[in-house]
Amino acid sequence: MKALKLSNEQLIFYIVFGVFGILPIFLNGNLAIMNILTMIMLYAVVATNWDLMMGYAGIFTFGNVAFFVIGAYASGILAMSLGISPWLTIPIGGAITAGIGVLISLPCLRLKGAYVALITFALHMILEPFLKSDMGRAIGTGGAQGLLSIPPLSIGGYTFSSLQPVPWFYVAFGLSLVSLYVTHRIINSSWGLSFVAVRDSEPFAKSLGLDDFRVKLMVFGIAAFFTGMAGAFYGHFVGILSTRVLGLDLFLLLMVMQVVGGMGKFPGALLGAIIVTFANEGLRAAGVYRLVIFGAIVVAVVVLAPDGIMGAILGGGKGRRLDRFRRFARRAFGKETSEAGDSV
Amino acid sequence: MKILQIESLTQRFGELAAVDNLSFEMEEGEILGIAGPNGAGKSTLFNSITGFYKYTGDIYFNNEKISRLRPHQICHKGIARTFQIPHLFLTLPIHENLRVGAHFGVRSHGAEEEEANMNDVMSLLGLQGKEDIITANLNLFDKKLTMLAAAMATKPKLLLVDEPTAGLSPTETRDLVALFKKINKELGLTIIIIEHLMKVLTELSQRMMIMVNGRKIAIGPPAEITKDEKVIEIYLGRGKHA
Amino acid sequence: MTHELADVVISGLSSGSTYAVMALGMALVYGISRVFNFAYGSFYSLGGYLAWLFLGHQIGYPAALACIIPGLFFIGTATERFTLRPLRVRKNWEMLAMMSTLGLALFMDNLYLAVFGPFAKSLPVLFEGAVNTAGFVVSMQDIATTAIAMSIIVGLWFFLNRTRHGLAMRAVAQDMTGSEIVGIDKDRVFSYTFGIATVLVGAGGILLAPKYFVSPLGGWDILVKAWVITAFGGMGSMLGAVYAAFILGMVEAFVAWQLGLTWTLLIWFVILIVMFIVRPQGLRGSWG
Repeated sequence: MKALKLSNEQLIFYIVFGVFGILPIFLNGNLAIMNILTMIMLYAVVATNWDLMMGYAGIFTFGNVAFFVIGAYASGILAMSLGISPWLTIPIGGAITAGIGVLISLPCLRLKGAYVALITFALHMILEPFLKSDMGRAIGTGGAQGLLSIPPLSIGGYTFSSLQPVPWFYVAFGLSLVSLYVTHRIINSSWGLSFVAVRDSEPFAKSLGLDDFRVKLMVFGIAAFFTGMAGAFYGHFVGILSTRVLGLDLFLLLMVMQVVGGMGKFPGALLGAIIVTFANEGLRAAGVYRLVIFGAIVVAVVVLAPDGIMGAILGGGKGRRLDRFRRFARRAFGKETSEAGDSV
Repeated sequence: MKILQIESLTQRFGELAAVDNLSFEMEEGEILGIAGPNGAGKSTLFNSITGFYKYTGDIYFNNEKISRLRPHQICHKGIARTFQIPHLFLTLPIHENLRVGAHFGVRSHGAEEEEANMNDVMSLLGLQGKEDIITANLNLFDKKLTMLAAAMATKPKLLLVDEPTAGLSPTETRDLVALFKKINKELGLTIIIIEHLMKVLTELSQRMMIMVNGRKIAIGPPAEITKDEKVIEIYLGRGKHA
Repeated sequence: MTHELADVVISGLSSGSTYAVMALGMALVYGISRVFNFAYGSFYSLGGYLAWLFLGHQIGYPAALACIIPGLFFIGTATERFTLRPLRVRKNWEMLAMMSTLGLALFMDNLYLAVFGPFAKSLPVLFEGAVNTAGFVVSMQDIATTAIAMSIIVGLWFFLNRTRHGLAMRAVAQDMTGSEIVGIDKDRVFSYTFGIATVLVGAGGILLAPKYFVSPLGGWDILVKAWVITAFGGMGSMLGAVYAAFILGMVEAFVAWQLGLTWTLLIWFVILIVMFIVRPQGLRGSWG
């Protein structure tokens, strides 16, 4: 049997999605867990695209929660006020967010580091007052109340319901699978190379023919698009939307997912989303100390294991630890005999 | 053919003119050496030519005005450069560093051409067999070679080299000089080289230009320059070798 | 009308001076060690909470401050040592430093929440009463705050320009490698810079607590404000931070008078964006 040539990153990616794909079968429609899994799928999209910007392109961005919320509101408003099907408003929401992402990137093109962080954070900070303002209400944001009855998805005669989590999960699963797959392809393409080049040495990259403005615009646009779509789905999934989503909780959680997963190491953000979401739920028993523990964990991970989970799995260098495990597994299943000179 | 024409180039940092009303020309295939005390404006000149700094005055490359172009556009026109301190994509291996140049620095090419280009450059510079080493782990000489290789992968007509021998041993310096001679002869590459080592400059350049305080104080064949009174006074000094 | 205007101006001066103290802390850390401290707001609250603790035990301000100031310095240096120094060997240490301080902020803010509860705490004023001159009424607290803040700023200036430690800090800010070559211990400089910044922002917390109270999440506002001020002044510039603080402090006072305090940040951001377009490096642009 011809061995599949999968990289370590692809292996992890397919295993995770494979498991998630069949997990619902064993869960008997348990509402609580299914909803958590659905959120993990969405968080994975947001965290991965955030990592695309920060870990791969080296752009200090704090605007990704804003992208999420913009996508959510855009899709919700279009569906509610114009009656357009959510199946359409979700990608449209993504497109609108992409446009805003590109717009916000413009002042950032010539700036570095903390400045870019500040501008993207400004987007986040301005969003709440805007959504609550008269101007916001005029376009349908519902002001401080927010949107209260965002239409759910429906196929044919069947309307998705909050009591039936499985269809929701599989749509989120599909969105996440496609989005992360696209990200994976981008990272391994010349686009991905251009992101890393501009991150590692912008002057060198420019002298070799890279248009740094175009690279940054692309990264912002791509990340904003998928993040906006995830947000749009969220809006229809939860059915209501308010500016509470803009609170610090989600922001910090997503940052932690990237760090724990391993920044700039696909699919670290996916793993981070899974681990952090479960940890977050698991720590609820600690009550008020939950976030204290979380904070301590973040510092510990950053200081002691800055490459996150992916760093730990792959070991030093290009995946030696996982490679050794794969050789072991292949031999254990009789597909390969050891050769002289192998050491494991 | 006049490949490069610099006209009244002036680059200011606030009040200070780092390059002051500089003009000169170059023939295709020539090697021009630039020397001068620190702060003379030599690197600033390179940064201006390659579009990293804004300046007043005009620059013509192959009779085309390139004055207001951005660095990546200037690369596409055919001008490549190296940096005084090795700038590299440190998280990537050598061949990916080269690929950036080969892919983004060369317009409209196919995947096979790109690979062939990269292989050619690597064998020209002696980097064969080292492609997969992450550049952060290289020694200084190999880092400089990689930087040069990436620049050459963009298929330039003009190469600007900024103090290439800084920090190298005499053997490495000798190898590098031989390399530049080879590149110039075999590929017909026009080169401008900034250097402090007079020995290197006199051996390599057909003409030399001495810059002091942003101005050109002399330009001509090395034999003339090293005997020029002004140059000796301001830069070379009256030691044994002047 | 002139009375109101005078009130606004005085208010602007007062907050400007306090903002200057806190912005200086951020400018110091960023200018010298290039670290963006996400937990800056949490240290602001730390000052306030520590003061509340001490004062709650009937310890007067002087004694409390005598303990708190060195305490803040120590906490700052210890924080730098354990959560930031280990990161410097990595290539992407700037980003990791941000993440580390982010975790720290999460930790500290929620610790306050757990230990002190969600309700804001207030501190007694340093000086009671008000001064009444030529018909203008100014509270003693405001005068004291402004005076203290100004003294801190002047003191810092002397420290930076007239002491060896200050000289070392300026050297590292200008040229990290160069200063190492002449024998300056970079790590120690980063350490006490962070300590000094912690003292500055913590002091700001104590000065402003009587008026604005201490709460677990109250520091985020300060973080953003200090950030905007420092960026407006030029990220690493001391003098720029001071100018920016007074300018923006004055703006805030006027905005509060005409539109309401909630509009402050929005107006500040607009001004900042304009600055970025016109002069991306800020008022002063670099260390200076």
